[in-house]
Amino acid sequence: MHISEGVLSAPVLLAGAVLSLVGLTLGLKKIKNEDIPKVAVLSSAFFVASLIHVPIGPTSAHLILNGLIGMLLGWSAFPAIFVGLLLQALLFQFGGLTTLGVNTFTMAMPAVLSFYTFRKMLKKGKNVAFIGGALGGASAVLIGTLFVSLALIGTEKSFFGVAVTLFTMHLPIALIEGIITGFVILYLKKVKPEALG
Amino acid sequence: MKKIIFLIIISLFICTTTVEAHKVSAYAYREGDKVIGECYFADGSPCQNSPVEVYDSNGKKILQTTTDEKGKFSFKTQETGELKIVIPAGEGHRAEYRLEGVKRAEKKEIKKQEPVKEVEKKQTPSVNSEEIKQIIDEAMDAKLQGIRSEIMDLRKQMDKINIRDIIGGIGYIFGVWGLIMLIKRKKNAS
Repeated sequence: MHISEGVLSAPVLLAGAVLSLVGLTLGLKKIKNEDIPKVAVLSSAFFVASLIHVPIGPTSAHLILNGLIGMLLGWSAFPAIFVGLLLQALLFQFGGLTTLGVNTFTMAMPAVLSFYTFRKMLKKGKNVAFIGGALGGASAVLIGTLFVSLALIGTEKSFFGVAVTLFTMHLPIALIEGIITGFVILYLKKVKPEALG
Repeated sequence: MKKIIFLIIISLFICTTTVEAHKVSAYAYREGDKVIGECYFADGSPCQNSPVEVYDSNGKKILQTTTDEKGKFSFKTQETGELKIVIPAGEGHRAEYRLEGVKRAEKKEIKKQEPVKEVEKKQTPSVNSEEIKQIIDEAMDAKLQGIRSEIMDLRKQMDKINIRDIIGGIGYIFGVWGLIMLIKRKKNAS
């Protein structure tokens, strides 16, 4: 879900940049020094995840993993995703430098929402943690499609058309990511429970 | 944490076989007064039934067409200036290609041919020059066809994602976070 350069109007770009800047400062302030390796690993996981495509009908959608990143990092998901997106834009021309702000916000904000909604479930028993992880992973993707559709309101003719297309396109992705995120959370619970705070 | 690293490694392996991208690219060339182009995703798969908008050098929209199921499009235009071809592939994807303007260089060629013409047929040189021009154009197009498809393949190759870029990107990410860590540590110390 990268929005390309030249699609959005200036006010949308500006709004995205400002919102992302707020998220970035908040995220950077909250990172503890000892957490940085974790952030770096998840940042590169995000960077690589976008290269894994799942063919759906005529087009294809890629993994995002923003739910996982959000639930493990909280507000620090903003800088983690920002760095991943920056390098994707520079190396692969995914999205673009001008749309970096919008793209960061549309992917990182659902991640933070997942963090606040499902974080408590992760601390509970195994089954609840798995369900929490799966729900967090899946919902972050689907809320992401909603944010992208909102950003495209000015350029695409019908908001509902785009929203429905993006949403249905990403349903399989949400399913896959839910499962992945659930298992990663389970594993972390076993090996490194302190990572789930 | 180990699992996440494991995940990244697995992803890398998957990427080496199915390197795909989310980017749309377009490429076009002129053939006489016709413009022929192709639009494709970075993995080389065609961008099907997508609208194609053509703008002139002043940013005015001249015409609109759509790509076929192979991602190809073509249109006729008398415009010799620079053309901007925009393909809004939907859901926030967009490709743009600038097609350079052409100078009518054919006139020079025709002049060179003129002495021959005069020897052969002195009458109706204007019709003849037109004919010769057409023959040259056709011959050139036939010869250039191979090179054009070669260029197209090369372009597609270039747009594909390189495994070096992926590994390099991961390296950069760790570098960036290392820097942030350094800066934070200095701040904490002072």
